[in-house]
Amino acid sequence: MSKDSQMRAAINQKLIEMGERERLKELLRAKLVECGWKDQLKAHCKDVIREKGLEHVTVEDLVTEVTPKGRALVPDSVKKELLQRIRAFLAQHAAL
Amino acid sequence: MKMEDMPLSGPDNTKLEALVHDIYSELVEDACLGLCFEVHRAVKQGYFFLDETDQESMKEFEIVDQPGLDIFGQVYNQWKNKECECPNCKRLIAASRFAPHLEKCLGMGRNSSRIANRRLASNNNMSKSESDQEDNDDLNDNDWSYGAEKKAKKRKSDKNQNSPRRSKSLKHKNGDLVNSISSETYNKYNYNTGHGISYDALSPDELRSLLTTQCGVISEHTKKMCTRSQRCPQHTDEQRRAVRVFLLGPSASLLPSADAAVENDSFDIPDGQSLMSRLQWDDTSDISPTDSASSKASTNHSDSRRPKKKKKTSLGLNSGGGGGGGCPTGSSISQSNISLSTKKKRPKVATPSISSIYDDLN
Repeated sequence: MSKDSQMRAAINQKLIEMGERERLKELLRAKLVECGWKDQLKAHCKDVIREKGLEHVTVEDLVTEVTPKGRALVPDSVKKELLQRIRAFLAQHAAL
Repeated sequence: MKMEDMPLSGPDNTKLEALVHDIYSELVEDACLGLCFEVHRAVKQGYFFLDETDQESMKEFEIVDQPGLDIFGQVYNQWKNKECECPNCKRLIAASRFAPHLEKCLGMGRNSSRIANRRLASNNNMSKSESDQEDNDDLNDNDWSYGAEKKAKKRKSDKNQNSPRRSKSLKHKNGDLVNSISSETYNKYNYNTGHGISYDALSPDELRSLLTTQCGVISEHTKKMCTRSQRCPQHTDEQRRAVRVFLLGPSASLLPSADAAVENDSFDIPDGQSLMSRLQWDDTSDISPTDSASSKASTNHSDSRRPKKKKKTSLGLNSGGGGGGGCPTGSSISQSNISLSTKKKRPKVATPSISSIYDDLN
């Protein structure tokens, strides 16, 4: 198990080192804005905030409310493309 | 641990797949977290709900999505066939054609002199070439929309007869009626006041002073007067003489005087005399430009009673101008004649320079 977590840490480090993680994040953000994911989540945020009252909203509340929905709302095409990119990166750098 | 050591094949494939999904969900959570931060900041800064209004106005300005309506719920071609009523000729004109029509109808703007001339020409029953031009203009004139044209035809017989187009189209059927109408409208809507641009707009006095200083030949194309000097090379003496006869009445050419017989080659003297003689008998009869232009024939009979009076005055003036100067140029004689006659009647018209010439001659 320690080997597994070691590998995970190494891959994460590689992703950050190569700047690939930033690139992937940027790509994901752009895609999500493009497909309306962000607007949907914002509308959801509004509901949550109205429910709780404008003054009593915390970041933690928002995260717990929004993250499951956000994960579910990501379109399949975006998800597939992102997974593809990650796999390609791993394959490329594992081959080295 | 180095990347190279990573086991990629065999049973580890599922592990790798799990790793890929982990990375992906991490990224998605990152994005969610970013959004949460963004929203939270907006809420705490107080600008999160700025773009919201109350539900009523949201409903009011909802985007309409129905066939035949635009997004505001209006019929989008409702202005297409809008028609305005012309205040002048009381006809309905398509809104898009209203401004050009008004320009023509009121006789203002660039083409007004042309149209005014056309009316004048129809008054005089001018030459055939003139009417040919009118026909061409008829073809080009898309002033009216088709619908308006039809409506206008229906109401042909009632009040709408005083527009230029109508008077033209009626001309061939009922000349007298139209002539009276169009001359009436012409007098009513004669807005041309540009100096030296359109001779119709000038008063007889202006016309006369203009013709003593300028060539004044009326162009066939623009129907405007030439503003060059009397010796402008573009026009012949014959043309200039014809214009003066046309504008100042036939008496100008019908009165051969002693001076004209002596200096027959110079046109200025007869011109000057005709002008001067006009000035003399204009005292009694106040004639508008339209009258002088349209009643060419009618002035003929009145000439018969004038020659004595004119001859007298012309002789007297010539003795004043020609006797003192010996043989001055024709133009100076005519100028001095004019200045003298105008000085008699309206001192302000004569310019100081001209009167000084006259003094020199004496």
